Amino acid sequence: MEVDINGESRTTLSTLPVPLAEVSPGGRMEAEKPRCSSTPCSPMRRTVAGYQILHMDSNYLVGFTTGEELLKLAQKCTGSEENKEESGPNLRSKQVDSGLTRSSRLYKTRSRYYQPYEIPAVNGRRRRRMPSSGDKCTKALPYEPYKALHGPLPLCLLKGKRAHSKSLDYLNLDKMSIKEPADTEVLQYQLQHLTLRGDRMFARNNT
Amino acid sequence: MFCVLEQDLGQAWFGSLRVSFHPEQDEEDEDDNSELDASAGRFVRYQFTPAFLRLRTVGATVEFTVGEKPVSNFRMIERHYFRDRLLKNFDFDFGFCIPSSRNTCEHIYEFPQLSEDLIRLMVENPYETRSDSFYFVDNKLIMHNKADYAYNGGQ
Repeated sequence: MEVDINGESRTTLSTLPVPLAEVSPGGRMEAEKPRCSSTPCSPMRRTVAGYQILHMDSNYLVGFTTGEELLKLAQKCTGSEENKEESGPNLRSKQVDSGLTRSSRLYKTRSRYYQPYEIPAVNGRRRRRMPSSGDKCTKALPYEPYKALHGPLPLCLLKGKRAHSKSLDYLNLDKMSIKEPADTEVLQYQLQHLTLRGDRMFARNNT
Repeated sequence: MFCVLEQDLGQAWFGSLRVSFHPEQDEEDEDDNSELDASAGRFVRYQFTPAFLRLRTVGATVEFTVGEKPVSNFRMIERHYFRDRLLKNFDFDFGFCIPSSRNTCEHIYEFPQLSEDLIRLMVENPYETRSDSFYFVDNKLIMHNKADYAYNGGQ
């Protein structure tokens, strides 16, 4: 069962166990607001998802940037700022923002010379060819790469000491009071188990 | 890999995406550097146009490969947030996947109804809409991917 943002129940095609609020090891209900996690965490350390955009409808999707590409773009822009004393999560400061602003100007300029689907201007207005259904793009092409840097880098991509997910924020267990099927308990246990393992990893790295 | 637009129904296939991962259990790698690299590989940033938020149903084709071991009860739960507000929770059940296979799956997202104010906020605040995708095999979490979204594309 799902609920929309107004909290009303909605029937859906799939059976969807919605996790309850997380329960601390002490058995108390955590009064935490559901929020998006800061850091992706997977037990499969060696397995890294590879993303390859095959087709994009530019009426809706104009850009697609992987984490690696964001890092490369940011590293090109920040450059010497990364060697300064402040690092880690503190990179999300004016230094990074100014660097990203510079990069946005840089890539905006570059995009004028790098438009894979640019066609001659008509009536003084530049157009972009719409990809046909037969077109395949085997390489991830961010059509608006400069816009990918307008926002701050996600926490999971920042170097240095990360704000580890000790607060279980990445679990995002929300507070909707909906009756759940039994297998949700298994789901919750697995999620909590992952978090506890991550905390032990964090503690071990600090010793 | 195609794009079909049905304006009257508010549906659209916005694109096709090949995601390469092996939904199997793996040993932990305690190398801290690999943790950062793995995080980078599990993050994607999307830039949509504002028109995207007017859609009611969106389809996305995802292709994934399975390693040498069969995968049973493969499932993905995806949660979308705007700032600290849960927009919607999606649940996709892949079921059983045979080993050494390449699979194509079409995710159909039914968007929640968004108020005009919320749409405006989402457009004006790029990358403050985020999502978590949790992948499970036999109810055990095997992978967690993240994404964030901008809806001011083309502006």
